Amino acid sequence: MDTTLDIFVKAIFSENMIFAYFLGMCSYLAVSKTVKTAVGLGAAVIFVLGITIPMNYLLQNYVLKEGALGWLNPEYGLDGAHTIDLSFLSFIMFIAVIASMVQLVEMLVEKFAPALYGALGIFLPLIAVNCSILGGALFMADRQYSTIADATAFGIGSGIGWFLAIVAIAAIREKIRYSQVPAPLRGLGITFILTGLMGIAFMSFMGIEYKNGDKKAETEQVEAPKTSQNIELNK
Amino acid sequence: MKALEKLLHKWDPMFEKGAKWEKFHPLYETMTTFAFTPKHVTKKGAHIRDGVDLKRTMFMVVIALIPCLLFGIYNTGHWHYEIQSYLPGSEFEAYRDYMTGFGDKVLYGLSRVLPLLVVSYGVGLAIEFVFGFLKGHSLHEGYLVSGMLIPLIMPVDVPLWMVGVATAFAVIIGKEVFGGTGMNILNVALTARAFLFFAYPTAMSGDKVWKGGTADVIAANNGMLPDGATGATALADLQAMKTNLTESASLLLEKFQAQYDPIDAFMGMIPGSVGETSTLAVLIGALILLATGVASWRIIVSFFAGGFLFGLLMNAIGGNAYFDMPAYYHLIIGGFAFGAVFMATDPVTAAQTSVGKLWYGFLAGGIAVLIRTLNPAYPEGVMLAILFMNVMAPIIDHYVIQANVKRRLKRLKTA
Repeated sequence: MDTTLDIFVKAIFSENMIFAYFLGMCSYLAVSKTVKTAVGLGAAVIFVLGITIPMNYLLQNYVLKEGALGWLNPEYGLDGAHTIDLSFLSFIMFIAVIASMVQLVEMLVEKFAPALYGALGIFLPLIAVNCSILGGALFMADRQYSTIADATAFGIGSGIGWFLAIVAIAAIREKIRYSQVPAPLRGLGITFILTGLMGIAFMSFMGIEYKNGDKKAETEQVEAPKTSQNIELNK
Repeated sequence: MKALEKLLHKWDPMFEKGAKWEKFHPLYETMTTFAFTPKHVTKKGAHIRDGVDLKRTMFMVVIALIPCLLFGIYNTGHWHYEIQSYLPGSEFEAYRDYMTGFGDKVLYGLSRVLPLLVVSYGVGLAIEFVFGFLKGHSLHEGYLVSGMLIPLIMPVDVPLWMVGVATAFAVIIGKEVFGGTGMNILNVALTARAFLFFAYPTAMSGDKVWKGGTADVIAANNGMLPDGATGATALADLQAMKTNLTESASLLLEKFQAQYDPIDAFMGMIPGSVGETSTLAVLIGALILLATGVASWRIIVSFFAGGFLFGLLMNAIGGNAYFDMPAYYHLIIGGFAFGAVFMATDPVTAAQTSVGKLWYGFLAGGIAVLIRTLNPAYPEGVMLAILFMNVMAPIIDHYVIQANVKRRLKRLKTA
């Protein structure tokens, strides 16, 4: 398995939530008009990912996964607990944890940064259904991180990656406000093109290998440029 | 000159609004301003009186690129005959010496590099003209430089149609949709190269594209490279050393240094993309750019500093041949110097603030070395590092400006 540091760096750059998986696009596109709101939402996403992923990790490993309830056997004498598989509940449990955490963030932001609360508007409660948060929890379950430290590193790293992406595009959108973008492309159109171009720039980090990299967890999308390259080098 | 100017002015009315040739005004204006200063002048407000406009500035970059172009032509010719010479019974064995067969090498280089130039300028300028007509402005000058840069950063054996497609992609998606020259986010030439790099990786890397006619040599020798010949670049060799576990890192490094003498690498006598190999030619170009004030010394200096410091850092970590390579090698092989002087300094896509430029250059140089050493998929990291910093430049500027605002507010309050 990767070391904790590898997981952290990988989550920020080579497996960036936005540019490698295109998750959490709705708020990424909608709240990136100014740097200030982008920083606020990005920080909220780091916070939510950093809290919910370790929580979901505990839930996954001690309640939901097949055999996860095995700890009931010796301590409470419940025979057969280790055969229970509750993983069909994972979606609803993960979402429940995420939604309650988002409520907490919302209260905190409203209390301590009312201006930001107003600027973020509907997108703050909508973090609960931000694909990158649930996506992060599901990736965590799928990749079977061995310790809670790994899961936390993954969560915070993914959050930072998302933060970087939204802050970078917000600064660019502030800059291109003065560009003469053709009328049909103004607004979302140019932002989509921009995201694609930024994806090219982020590809620089894809394929960085870690000594015992967990190949299975990487999707084909990420693998593609690497394999074609490797074949070429091996010829 | 005077006669030409008079003639052109006589034609002026034909291209004015409502006249016969009104539609072709952008084309006409482009041609006239190429030789003479535009006739429209700023009517109000303070302004600078100077003959130097965007077109002159861009032309200065093209002039600065000429040493690279000339050297690239010769280098292309040399490596073509070098790989030919390994064929059994070849008559070119003497050509392995760098200076032998000067005329032949120049001729071959011209026959390969000129078509690249023609395709790049032809496709790019055609698209620029179309957009100029659609929007009713004269031709944007920015493409003068991009059109020159694109052939210089391609491997010589890249098919011409690919260059055309990549140029079209870079000009339309990378620039025109943002509003044309001065509005783009990513460097146009690098966008073209990155597009090809990811869309057709076999044409842009490996060991069959860097020396003109390698494929023919392989075909003539029963499908493999002749004994003693190699088609790889220095960077690709280094990548291979990283995965070579049978020999020790220091031994591999010794071999590498014997094959790629630092002086040769500095002069540019190594295989690589057409115009990027010679650090010397790049430095001549850098002198021209710095003397005329076109490029920012902050970016160039911090770019080299970033690359060197990260090279030293890699030395300190150590572990394989690529990590242990002396840091100065990073600056003279591959496209490092070319990227630092001609790509990173692009005034449109670089950071705009003075402090921001230092950060921008430093990080770009550092990330370039990081990608080279850490990422097995890409032997060369300069292009991707600069593209990445192009994306990050606006946010660097934003925070530099915010910091300045805060500092001045503080000063105001204490005063």
